[in-house]
Amino acid sequence: MRGSRAQAVLASTISQRSDRESAEERRRAVRILLVRPLLCAGGDDAGDFSLVRKHVDFLRTFFSKHLGWTLEVDSGLARLRKVPADLWDGTRPARDVHTGIPFSRRRYVLLCLALCALERAERQTTLGRLAEQIVQEAQAEALSAAGMTFDLKSQDQRRDLVTTVRFLLSMRVLVRVQGDEQQFLSERGDVLYDVERPALVALVNLRRPPSLIRETDWSSRLAALSAEPRPDTPEGRNQFLRVQLMRRLIDDPVLYYSELTEDERTYLTSQRPFLTRTLEENTGLIPEARAEGLLFCDDRGDCTDFGIPEEGTRGHLALLLAEFLASRLRTQGDLPIPHVDVVRHVEQLIAQHKSHWSREATQPGAGPALAVETLERLEALRLVRRADGSVIPRPAIARYALAAPVKEARKDNAAFTTADGTSGDP
Amino acid sequence: MPAGRLRIFSFVTEPNAAMYRAVLSVFVAAKERFRLHLRPLDVLSALRTLPSGAPSEPTPELEAVETALRQLSGEWGLLEAHPDTAAVATVEEFYRPRFLYRLTQHGAAAEQAVRLYEELCEQRGELQTAALSDIRSLLGELLSLLTQDEPDAGRAYLALDTLCLRFGQLTEHAQAFLGSLQRAIDLHGASLEAFVAYKQRLIDYLERFVQELLLSRLEIAQQLIQAEQSGIFQLLHLITERQLIDALNPTEAERTAAHTRWRDRWAGLRTWFVGELGQRSQAEELRRHALAAIPALLSALSGLHDRRARKSDRSADLRTLACWFAEAKDDADAHRLFRTAFGLSSARHLRIDDETLAERDQNPISASTSFLSAPPLRIAPRLRSHGRVVRPGRPASVIDRTQDKERLRLEAEAEAEALLAAQRRLASGKRLRLSELGLLDELELRVLLELLSEALAAGADGQEVSEVESSDGLLHIKIELVAGSSMAELSTVIGTLRGPDYFVTIQETAGVELRTEVRG
Repeated sequence: MRGSRAQAVLASTISQRSDRESAEERRRAVRILLVRPLLCAGGDDAGDFSLVRKHVDFLRTFFSKHLGWTLEVDSGLARLRKVPADLWDGTRPARDVHTGIPFSRRRYVLLCLALCALERAERQTTLGRLAEQIVQEAQAEALSAAGMTFDLKSQDQRRDLVTTVRFLLSMRVLVRVQGDEQQFLSERGDVLYDVERPALVALVNLRRPPSLIRETDWSSRLAALSAEPRPDTPEGRNQFLRVQLMRRLIDDPVLYYSELTEDERTYLTSQRPFLTRTLEENTGLIPEARAEGLLFCDDRGDCTDFGIPEEGTRGHLALLLAEFLASRLRTQGDLPIPHVDVVRHVEQLIAQHKSHWSREATQPGAGPALAVETLERLEALRLVRRADGSVIPRPAIARYALAAPVKEARKDNAAFTTADGTSGDP
Repeated sequence: MPAGRLRIFSFVTEPNAAMYRAVLSVFVAAKERFRLHLRPLDVLSALRTLPSGAPSEPTPELEAVETALRQLSGEWGLLEAHPDTAAVATVEEFYRPRFLYRLTQHGAAAEQAVRLYEELCEQRGELQTAALSDIRSLLGELLSLLTQDEPDAGRAYLALDTLCLRFGQLTEHAQAFLGSLQRAIDLHGASLEAFVAYKQRLIDYLERFVQELLLSRLEIAQQLIQAEQSGIFQLLHLITERQLIDALNPTEAERTAAHTRWRDRWAGLRTWFVGELGQRSQAEELRRHALAAIPALLSALSGLHDRRARKSDRSADLRTLACWFAEAKDDADAHRLFRTAFGLSSARHLRIDDETLAERDQNPISASTSFLSAPPLRIAPRLRSHGRVVRPGRPASVIDRTQDKERLRLEAEAEAEALLAAQRRLASGKRLRLSELGLLDELELRVLLELLSEALAAGADGQEVSEVESSDGLLHIKIELVAGSSMAELSTVIGTLRGPDYFVTIQETAGVELRTEVRG
């Protein structure tokens, strides 16, 4: 009898552990999709893709019920159709795959024209052919009225095209078969690609066709583009509020109560425990609720495109600048800080740390540009707001204030345990 | 055929081609009514009664008709002109050159060729399931003819001719069909309902053909092989004779040409159904092609579904998006549009580390605390001062043991090498007394002791000489007791070994070289 009881306990422990493991896997799958909403079965994401496929039912239910996002998974592709809640967030650009520089307007236009050309392509295409088709598409009057011409002859234009194509390669809409983009840049060769039609179709996330939208004001355009039907009943409105709040909590770094409307704030106050518990259980992100706002922290570092603190020169500078601004916040409240003060501080930091920072950061005269870049990063993390000529620190930046140093022995321990926890990707 | 003769076809591409075609078609129509000669007036009246082509074409005049007739009969030789000897009624007519025109053999052939070409272009193509059963029954008849001693040449000729005809039609139509199917699959902008209805019929049609082909192919192949075994080639001679029976003066060349044609047709039939060695037969290819058409059709259908889901065409949407991006007043607006239109952006969150979490577990912070008064994050001092954390290795689970393994491997290798070196030193091959072995180090002593113990164990009691191989097979030792029971003293690094003296011969086992392995 003792033996069978021990066996039952063992069995339940095992099943508990496997439940825990699969719960852990599910959370990981959610985080994977949050960071990369388009996953292909081939290529580098193959492991992530199979994990997503394994838990597809759970994922589909979770995303649709709590976030109103559809998840399409088939044998070659997984696409989470993320509809943003905060449409006015301009800090999430498409980026050059190699340098991380955000796309310019020209590159976005090229991207759309390239997708247009690929719609008509057969199973394969070359970079040269794509360029020709884009030039043809670009003859449209509306584009030239806006001052954009494409002849793809100059080196700059070719580089723009190659950046766009590299973006498409990273999304696996195109798969390189032969050739090298570098050769195309130096006009010595061409590149052959396979066109993956499913990825092409899944890339764009338009609920309403833009050609039917007549608004010209930018925010109304965006609103019309992402409009979703919702019933005009109290339940419908509540549901909409909840979904909007969840989208912001899961996608944005910090949600400040001051940004919410009256309805939203009321709803959040009453439903906060439910919302935080749902998100925490299903994503593994850890809630941090304070008087000014609510945020979810990432303890593993795999649910964000860039974070703070982070290794590397830029991450270090961001951390130190955040510290400086946080101390100002704590001492002076949220008075705007003149931009020149920030630049001066950045230059001091450069002087202090130039021995272990990257060379391009420590060039003479790099101070102002670096300051702007770091402020953009902090703004993207919702830690500051930038107005003309000044910087306004936001409450959450106080997290990075310099604390009193801990005792020596504990500090060594801190070096060990924190080392495990904060090992992020450089 | 010399190229000059094909110049006859230029009537199709000349500027006045419509008139020429119309005139020739009048002649062809008249010939079918067995009227061989026509005057220009007759041609004109026939043209006038024809339904006119393009509305902009004026009704032809006699002048134009006569010019056309002259042209057709002159250089090209499509028509033949004979002087018209009938009586006339007026003086003008007497002086006007009058001709009668007749369609030549070349003209008839040319017109027929053009007409056939047009028909073939229009041909819709079919997968003729019925043709397969016809072919089967015709082959059956041929087989039954072959079993007779004196096969009826007439029936054989008829059977084989029809067989080849049906077979030609089957392949031609199948090709045309599959070609048009590919074009149909590339339907753009077709209405969805029509396509769905068409798709089901098409799939049934394809499946019916594929099944029939599968069933008949084997049977037909068997019939063909059986025919060959029963002597179809002799029958071909008979058939050739039968074909040429009405020729006026068949030359030997014509006879062999005809025979070769029949043989070629038979060979074609065979290749199509039976196939060559190592290659799929054409029938199999056709079946696969037809089978592959179905998924291609279904994917085209799903493409249409895709398009249906949005009322407008995706290309138009993308073009509008491109215009919007161009109209954006700054980069931030463009980024906003990108995020909304593409939905590919990653989530973004602030980080936290385990230490802070642990501390918060211990001292929880209430939700009403302000950010400013809550304790800040714990940040590793090294991260704060240098921007990098001491390299912690991989997170959690896997401990990297490669260095340790490497170290162990090197140690093991060194040990093995030392052992082998020791063995080599000992294996001199000379017959020595134990005491003459010289100063031994530890490893050599160990090797020697092992060898001695094996040798002594192997030797039976009282035996003075024993020879044995070491347990790893690399060394061979032979010991002989020294007469006189003297004691040997063997000095080593760690001490002195005393024992009975032996003559010891150690050598490497023949064929095995003591060599350290080279591990990759």
